[in-house]
Amino acid sequence: MEKIITKQSVPEWIKKLEDYTIYAPIKNEDSWSFEVVEPRQPEVIDLNYLNSSPSPKKVVFPPKEVFFEFTGSIYDRMELKETLPEGRPQVILGIRPCDAAAISRMDEFFSEDVKDPYYLTRRENTILVGLVCNTPPSPNCFCTSVGGSPHGKTGLDILMTDLGDDLYYVESLTQKGVQIMDVPDKPFRQAKSEERSKMRKIHTDSVKNITREIKDMDTIGTRLDNVFNSSLWEEESMGCLRCGICTYLCPSCHCFDVNDEISSTSPLEGKRVRTWDNCQFPDFTMHSSGHNPRPERASRLRQRIFHKIRYSQQNFNNYLCTGCGRCVSNCPVGINMIEILNKI
Amino acid sequence: MNSNVYLPEPAKIIRIKEEVQGQRAIKSFRTQFLNGNRFSYQCGQCAMLSVFGKGESMISISSAPNVEDYLQFSILKTGRVTTALHEMEEGDVIGIRGPFGNGFPLQEWKGRNLTFIGGGIGLAPLWGLLHTAVKNKEEYGDLTLLYGARTSKDLVFRDELYELKKDIPVHLSVDTEEEGWDEFVGFVPQNVKEKVTWPQNSIAITCGPPIMIKFTILALKELGFEDDRIYTTVENKMKCGIGKCGRCNIGSHYVCKNGPVYSWAELKDLPQEY
Repeated sequence: MEKIITKQSVPEWIKKLEDYTIYAPIKNEDSWSFEVVEPRQPEVIDLNYLNSSPSPKKVVFPPKEVFFEFTGSIYDRMELKETLPEGRPQVILGIRPCDAAAISRMDEFFSEDVKDPYYLTRRENTILVGLVCNTPPSPNCFCTSVGGSPHGKTGLDILMTDLGDDLYYVESLTQKGVQIMDVPDKPFRQAKSEERSKMRKIHTDSVKNITREIKDMDTIGTRLDNVFNSSLWEEESMGCLRCGICTYLCPSCHCFDVNDEISSTSPLEGKRVRTWDNCQFPDFTMHSSGHNPRPERASRLRQRIFHKIRYSQQNFNNYLCTGCGRCVSNCPVGINMIEILNKI
Repeated sequence: MNSNVYLPEPAKIIRIKEEVQGQRAIKSFRTQFLNGNRFSYQCGQCAMLSVFGKGESMISISSAPNVEDYLQFSILKTGRVTTALHEMEEGDVIGIRGPFGNGFPLQEWKGRNLTFIGGGIGLAPLWGLLHTAVKNKEEYGDLTLLYGARTSKDLVFRDELYELKKDIPVHLSVDTEEEGWDEFVGFVPQNVKEKVTWPQNSIAITCGPPIMIKFTILALKELGFEDDRIYTTVENKMKCGIGKCGRCNIGSHYVCKNGPVYSWAELKDLPQEY
């Protein structure tokens, strides 16, 4: 289905999707984040955005979620109550193609081998409506180096292209996409062939507009293997503050911690929670004996880059990096994955 | 196992045996699932134990898979969860999920001599394997155990070890001289050099502290063992058991899923991040 919607009609479309929780970019001072849009206030949505500061991964993989609640006594018996997500359908409106591709990497990861029921329940109920990057939203965008594109469709149910002239070209890519375009008093009209040509031209130009590049990605795997023991990692990680912003903002980083939180000791009541974790923290890998397999900054930076590029290539034949550039733009000490990979 | 992999199954501790006292205390716990279920597992696999309110810890299963009445875990008191376990009593309730990991390829070892080499708590992951092999003795060549600890008081399964001597040669060792000790004095790898002589058609399986494993492998190589005839187990910090939480990896391998059992032929090519 290929349609046209005017920019002014987008709020009208959103108002009709009352069975869905809508996440969309909302401006807060000088940055954007994906937030829940109140059903009667779709005007707050800002699709003229660059990209969100934190990635929208939290919609499918929340920073904190409860696996189960427990109550009872360790001296007698414990009752466990599974707390799977309720499964209310949700839409991420205006997600950038890199962030959608990152969610599709997580789809593969969390459904491979033993399935993760929490992630997959949320994901099955989520519809991704992408927005083409006519111009790169960040000076550090490099999606085209890691198999992506500013008009990429990976993971998406709908792709929207800003045609200018207050119009979006809206293309459904899956049945889920068709479903949310099929609303009463249709705010859409058929796309004309000249609009289709215009959309294609914008797509072609969008790729040319990406100027950041990691060179020779076809040989990156073996070149990384060759520098595993190099002093490069020590040099590059020298300034690392262990703040973890790189993986916190990353749209595809999915490592997590699991802990118990208790609210009462007698009877024992509490919950087991999953929280985002971070490979740049020293205690991420530290054994209870104190032994740490990745004790220095160098081994942790190397782990982040190897996991993104090399290990994911070995395990999934894909990169766990979709080129959004957030880790490069936001590192307080300027650790730059693009430059590191171009050095080896 | 529950269809939700993160949901543990409540189990009762039916027996606690104090193996080692003091600073480096070790206890063996036998458990039964409250719902009467049991899970089938292979020698060398692990399970995630929950102390509700404290968290989870990945522990190797030290009972043999053919034991129907209980699962046994022999645990060194080290961190938050294992300390809480050591404070528990018989009848108390924990949670168990698993089994996780690959296990030892015991089927492939039929007809071969098996030499088990343990140090300290490292005998626990070998214990179920050793008993399975002894129970099916006629299927294998010579079975031998070498086991050592800092002092004789640090040896686990002491009574069972003397019992085991009736079935197979057991060579014990302690690190330093002590009164009344008439077996080997010195580190485990030194005992290996002294007692192990027959690498042909033999498999050596070693588990213990990292430093012991390192020198045991060197000793075995010196004796003529090939890389693919030496097996060991790796441990790393774990939270999920299914290769998703992201911290136990060595290179592209997740120890909880692709390990914990590795042949030296596989392990020597992986980064030393364990």
